[in-house]
Amino acid sequence: MKRIVLIYQSLLGLYGDRGNAMVLRSRLEARGIDAEIIAVEPGDEVPPDGLVYLLGGGEDAAQISAVKLLKDDGTIYKAIDGGAVLFAVCAGYQITGNSFTVGDDDRVIEGLGLLDVDTRRGPERAVGEILTRWRRPDGSDYLITGFENHGGFTTLGPQAQALATVEVGVGNANDGTEGAVQGHVIGTYPHGPVLARNPALADHLLELALGETLSELPSAEIEELRRQRIAFVR
Amino acid sequence: MGGVSERHHSRPGVRVRLGAALGEVAALGSRLARRGSGASIRGQVLTRVAPQAFRHLLAGRRVLAVSGTNGKTTTTHLLAAAVRAADVGDVVSNADGANLSYGIASALSTDRHAPIAVLETDERVVRDMIEYGRPEVLVFLNFSRDQLDRHHEIKSLAKSWRRALEDAGATGPVIVGNATDPLVVWAAQGARKAIWVETATKWNEDSALCPECGAMLQVDDGARPRWYCAECGLRQPEAEYTVAGNAIRLSSGELIDPQLNVPGYFNVSNAACALAAAVEFGISETDAVSGFATVTSPAGRFATAKIGKAQARLILAKNPAGWAEALPLIETDPVVLAIDSVAADGKDVSWLWDVPYEVLRGRNVICAGPRAQDLAVRLSYAEVEHEVVPDLFDAVNYAKQTDVVATYTPFQRYLKLGGLR
Repeated sequence: MKRIVLIYQSLLGLYGDRGNAMVLRSRLEARGIDAEIIAVEPGDEVPPDGLVYLLGGGEDAAQISAVKLLKDDGTIYKAIDGGAVLFAVCAGYQITGNSFTVGDDDRVIEGLGLLDVDTRRGPERAVGEILTRWRRPDGSDYLITGFENHGGFTTLGPQAQALATVEVGVGNANDGTEGAVQGHVIGTYPHGPVLARNPALADHLLELALGETLSELPSAEIEELRRQRIAFVR
Repeated sequence: MGGVSERHHSRPGVRVRLGAALGEVAALGSRLARRGSGASIRGQVLTRVAPQAFRHLLAGRRVLAVSGTNGKTTTTHLLAAAVRAADVGDVVSNADGANLSYGIASALSTDRHAPIAVLETDERVVRDMIEYGRPEVLVFLNFSRDQLDRHHEIKSLAKSWRRALEDAGATGPVIVGNATDPLVVWAAQGARKAIWVETATKWNEDSALCPECGAMLQVDDGARPRWYCAECGLRQPEAEYTVAGNAIRLSSGELIDPQLNVPGYFNVSNAACALAAAVEFGISETDAVSGFATVTSPAGRFATAKIGKAQARLILAKNPAGWAEALPLIETDPVVLAIDSVAADGKDVSWLWDVPYEVLRGRNVICAGPRAQDLAVRLSYAEVEHEVVPDLFDAVNYAKQTDVVATYTPFQRYLKLGGLR
């Protein structure tokens, strides 16, 4: 039984981020792989045997609480060392980095340190549909469509690489880059949930964690949704 | 230049009357063009001609106001009906749900002399309502995630309410508040007096953290679980009105049947808040309940409309909390769910994944509206049978009877298609 671990939905689940867990489970099951979603709430121990761990969007106070709880728990670090994948979205992406800021006074908070990125308040809030271009492991390009809503701008350090390049939207810091990748840790701004609109990215997370290639899973319905959203922003 | 503006300040009444007259012309034009009731355009013209219209038209009235994320329109209708039933004076109300300052000004301009105003108030207008309307009673229903592409942080609204109450001090309103909602309780800490209602709220996903200190909220293990903060001591206050099934229990222990003709457990909670506000205003429970019975389809909610071949029952759901309330009301198979994402609906439809559509398994869903495809993908992952019919008319024109649950914009279009506005 493969486990998708959904971390602290009550703190970091503001934008339907649980949808990413539903998508991952469903795409495993469609390949004949048994899977379950483990929803971990504050007070619960983070299970060490997850395949993919998910962090979602949330408000300032929730970000601070989530960082403290995850550091005190410690399991997330060991799980990633053991080959699991962490997929962090929006505020979850910010707390995965070295540091981020909260509040009207831009207080700097130390993050989980799993991505070499730092987030500071941007000149204006980034809100709207976003379209980015992701270079897949096989060298082909894939468009990622989503919705971004963040006040923080994120800059990448030398150990992190951008996940994608921006075609429409703001992304990390209006610098043409979006998201960050460092080993098995992937952070990105588009919520939505982003994996529902971008099944190839969902499969990439699963393949990275499983260490094997998955079969194709064509869906005319999802392709039509992608066509509509891409047409909307272009 | 200064002289001109001074003259306007000294004679606001003239300007407001002029604005009201021009607004009336614009509203008539809007109705003739079949673009709607004209309330918004009336108010926009009015407030442009008389920037002080909102303030001026509120002055001298006894004001009751209602705000919160969900249930504002129905609660306002219930409260207005309660006051009317008591026959204590003419009542003016923004019954159409136009709840921004110009919508409120528009409603007030249609009856300049009614001594009592019962006003649905958008969350962002609460501050001005407290300052300029000086409401005697202000109902705080609930806070939940809604249109995050515009509001970003739920707590910032609660902060603005609390500050406005603190600024008003002893001249501020009595708050009738939903005790089960930590953000409501926190916002009302600024009030000179609060009356608490224990509602049967089921959505609690926006209240994990203490609004005062940021600690995780706890829930005690009583027969009716109550939230509390172990760090700073903020806790669910003792309620004077408690929702008990379909009835409302008073602190005396007496059970009141609210005689509702609107469906849903959440409307019992809305009625409990309206009852508390009415009683605080001096209305008897008997009069209030006899008023409640007259409310059937507030601003079209729960109305049945003839659309093409179908008798369609129209249900509005604007955010995850609203959808969680609306889904159990669905009785037909198939059912039409209509989704849009213009500004009034919220441009981001990620909330679709916070709605428990899984409860519709075994039923067929017609996905309608501009974001039908997003809903279709959501329903596939929820394992709910569905088809996509984006056109709103075609989507309902298939059966004799159908329930329709829609976000704001398609809901308004269905009212129009059904000739209800």
